Amino acid sequence: MRANNTLRTTVLGWAVALLMFFPIGWMALTAFKTELQAVSTPPVLFFKPTLENFAAVFERGDYLKFTLNSVLVSFGSTFLALALAVPAAYRMVFHPTPRTGSTLLWMLSTKMMPPVGVLVPIYLLFRDAGLLDTVTGLVIVYALMNLPIVVWMLYTYFKDVPREILEAGRVDGASAWQEVQILLLPLAWPGIASTGLLNVILAWNEAFWSLNLTTSKAAPLTAFIAAFSSPEGLFWAKLSAASLLAIAPILVVGWFSQKQLVRGLTFGAVK
Amino acid sequence: MATAIDAVRASARDTGFRDTLQRWLPKLVLAPTALCALVFIYGYIGWTALLSMTNSKMLPSYTFVGFDQYVRLFENERWLVAAKNLVLFGGLFIGVCLLVGVLLAVLLDQKIRSEGALRAIYLYPMALSFIVTGTAWKWILDPGLGLQKLGQELGWSSFRFDWITDPDRAVYTLVIAAVWQSSGFVMALFLAGLRGVDPSIVKAAQLDGASLPRIYWRIVLPCLRPVVFSAVMILSHIAIKSFDLVMALTGGGPGYSSDLPATFMYAHTFTRGQMGLGSASAMLMLGAVLAIIVPYLYSELRGKR
Repeated sequence: MRANNTLRTTVLGWAVALLMFFPIGWMALTAFKTELQAVSTPPVLFFKPTLENFAAVFERGDYLKFTLNSVLVSFGSTFLALALAVPAAYRMVFHPTPRTGSTLLWMLSTKMMPPVGVLVPIYLLFRDAGLLDTVTGLVIVYALMNLPIVVWMLYTYFKDVPREILEAGRVDGASAWQEVQILLLPLAWPGIASTGLLNVILAWNEAFWSLNLTTSKAAPLTAFIAAFSSPEGLFWAKLSAASLLAIAPILVVGWFSQKQLVRGLTFGAVK
Repeated sequence: MATAIDAVRASARDTGFRDTLQRWLPKLVLAPTALCALVFIYGYIGWTALLSMTNSKMLPSYTFVGFDQYVRLFENERWLVAAKNLVLFGGLFIGVCLLVGVLLAVLLDQKIRSEGALRAIYLYPMALSFIVTGTAWKWILDPGLGLQKLGQELGWSSFRFDWITDPDRAVYTLVIAAVWQSSGFVMALFLAGLRGVDPSIVKAAQLDGASLPRIYWRIVLPCLRPVVFSAVMILSHIAIKSFDLVMALTGGGPGYSSDLPATFMYAHTFTRGQMGLGSASAMLMLGAVLAIIVPYLYSELRGKR
């Protein structure tokens, strides 16, 4: 009876998994079909995979530029956000004041605000500062956008660092800078890396700002897919190939980082 | 002993600038981040509020018109559709997500084999960009390419699933894609909550002969009330922010039947040159978010004390 039940739930679990994975899986399959096979009926399940769609995507030349933009923006904004957030989190964890708790909640609450509320001013500011459609501009916006989450995540990770070690360092005459550099950073390294990873994923997926603030020069992959999908909407195999390329890094990273992802998206509620 | 302490005190007094900096540095380092959040959010929201009271068109102008833009907004058919869609979309999205999330969490809680792998797969959609998943769903929901065609090929010739081209139903396709994307995440929240329930209570109920569904319904789920609360918070903020999904899946169409406030704002501010009206709509969205998070933060803070 017990074994039977386990079998049934396992089968059910995998059936749901299949259903959940279907859209992604189907897209991945379509990417390796010819355009004709992609729309043929009944859908072809077994076919000779072709790489011609990928070749076609790469031939557009600008594809690599969009990828480079995505990489630059994701990593650039992550470094900027970490540079701002590590000191802030350090202060809140190791030099707390009675108001630290509310400061933290307040910061987090800003993440809840819909970005449309600040879109117009930022757009105007960027236009006047010449930051529209530049990688620098996107790096700044993405970093600011994810800053509250990064501070919060680092806060929860720093909390796990034993205070005694840092206090021992202080007693031995370490300056604040040495305390952070020699003691805190190495100890909290896994947490910082996880936070960075989450930020890279969030920035990689971000579309609201990239659609609104870029046109062509600095547009990352999300903007590329959005633009690709309207004129070439009929070329499903090519669109699938482009989409698959755009999410491939996340598919790989996502497998390893799901814990961090959940922790970040739940604002640290789930560890 | 006392002299030793005095000596330390004296040396602390003598140290001058370097040590003053030492003492203040840890406190000052919070400032840049706090300042960023302050300017980036509140400063610019203030600016948006200001613009919403002007007659800005393509370019910002600072001719003050009071609440005219808000009045115009509520005379705007398209805004009313977008607002109605948000209520419909948000309500269904949150409701269905919670339901699916609980069911999936309960399923994974049954000491299932390969739980880790299943959890990762359920969570996958959340890690992907709405732009890409929206594109995939557009294909699946397209009557000429996806499910409808498949159903008809399989011999069910009267099968119809053309919601995406139906102005009355296009908004439901957004719900489908959004639920697919987020339910795994809700599952993760609930699963963590389930693991936190005291097993001895469940054991006691089992000994008393309660059935499994009854245990979940009467004992486990009531323990999860805080989880439901935070899930609703996070989901509602996803719903109000929804922009990329609409852009990728329906583009707000057919017509403007599946517009949400965020796409309305985008369309009016950038493609229709109605910056004042767009800003007014942004302010109303902010108001909606505040109405949700203020009670939440209040209860969080009160809980801490």
